[in-house]
Amino acid sequence: MINPFIYFLLFLKASLFSTGGFSNLPSLHQDLITNGWAKEVDFGQSIAIGQISPGPNGLWVISLGYLTYGLTGAFLALIAITIPSLLVLLVSAGYTRIEHQTWVQGAMRGVSLAVVGLLLSVVWTILHQPGVDWKGTLIAAGAFGLGLSRKVNILIILGLAGLAGYFLYR
Amino acid sequence: MKLQDPRPGKWQLFRIWASIGLQSFGGGASTTFLIQRAFIEKHKWLSMEEFIYLWNLCILTPGINLVALTVLIGKKLGGAWGIAISLAGMLLPSAAITCLLAAIFIQVENVAAVQAVFRGVIPATGGILLVVGLNFALPLIRKGYKEGIFFLLVSGILTTACAFAVIFLKLSVIIVILGAAFLGSLLFSSKSTPPLYEEEQGEPQ
Repeated sequence: MINPFIYFLLFLKASLFSTGGFSNLPSLHQDLITNGWAKEVDFGQSIAIGQISPGPNGLWVISLGYLTYGLTGAFLALIAITIPSLLVLLVSAGYTRIEHQTWVQGAMRGVSLAVVGLLLSVVWTILHQPGVDWKGTLIAAGAFGLGLSRKVNILIILGLAGLAGYFLYR
Repeated sequence: MKLQDPRPGKWQLFRIWASIGLQSFGGGASTTFLIQRAFIEKHKWLSMEEFIYLWNLCILTPGINLVALTVLIGKKLGGAWGIAISLAGMLLPSAAITCLLAAIFIQVENVAAVQAVFRGVIPATGGILLVVGLNFALPLIRKGYKEGIFFLLVSGILTTACAFAVIFLKLSVIIVILGAAFLGSLLFSSKSTPPLYEEEQGEPQ
């Protein structure tokens, strides 16, 4: 049975200790799987649903909430991703005092590099899910190429990938 | 700064954010694009410089950067009310649609054809994320390239180390980010000081 309070705290923790839409994935993945509150496939599916639905990338968590705990889960997830954003008001107040220090700019750059590394780790996680074989890797490579060209709408890329999946795995 | 349009009313602000939330398919890039178009170009409530400044603050804040940006722009345009209205406009309609799609998915997830489609879509999300990562990396790579091979290499090593730490060492994300911030302050701070300091500051690693 899911304990709603702990469930909410896990989402809140993942959101508080993350920067950007997908970097809360590793933490949620660890915690929800350990508690048996989510299955491995829930994650790939949530990300896919999150990509298809409108709004910032970070809203994928809402579909994770819905898939694992219904409307309650979706609602708790929505609150959990909203609260940390309000901290920007504190950051904004504090940052104006220190922004011109060189170490602050260096640290910022370190954070930006870490964000890239974390994104790479998520890509790695997605491509190592059960059900992703060499054909899946090819699809990923194709999606990467089409995305890189910047000429193809993301919905078309996902549509093509779905079509490929339909013919390869049916 | 001269404002082209008068400050938005509550209902107008909600409508603008809702339309941004609902139109931004495919995640962050299109959301950022739509926010810039609405608030900077169309209504001129923000300058591009101001936007970049706010964005940097959002990067420093935990959670979803675009939601933090919604908070900051909301505050600027309408104080506490602006924050509440902007968040509601940005999140509620899109969240509702996300739930709807997830609900539909649950109904059909056991259909073999749907599972096959998702087996194709899931790796594609990986490929798309890689493009997102590359977009983030490009300005950093350009910066490192300008400063010389040393900084380019250091940047690459730091990025790889962060990915490695999460994947194989299972380190917590917050530890990785704090570690990178610390190393960054040691390695990159020299870039704003006179060149003489560069060699000395480049050493700790």
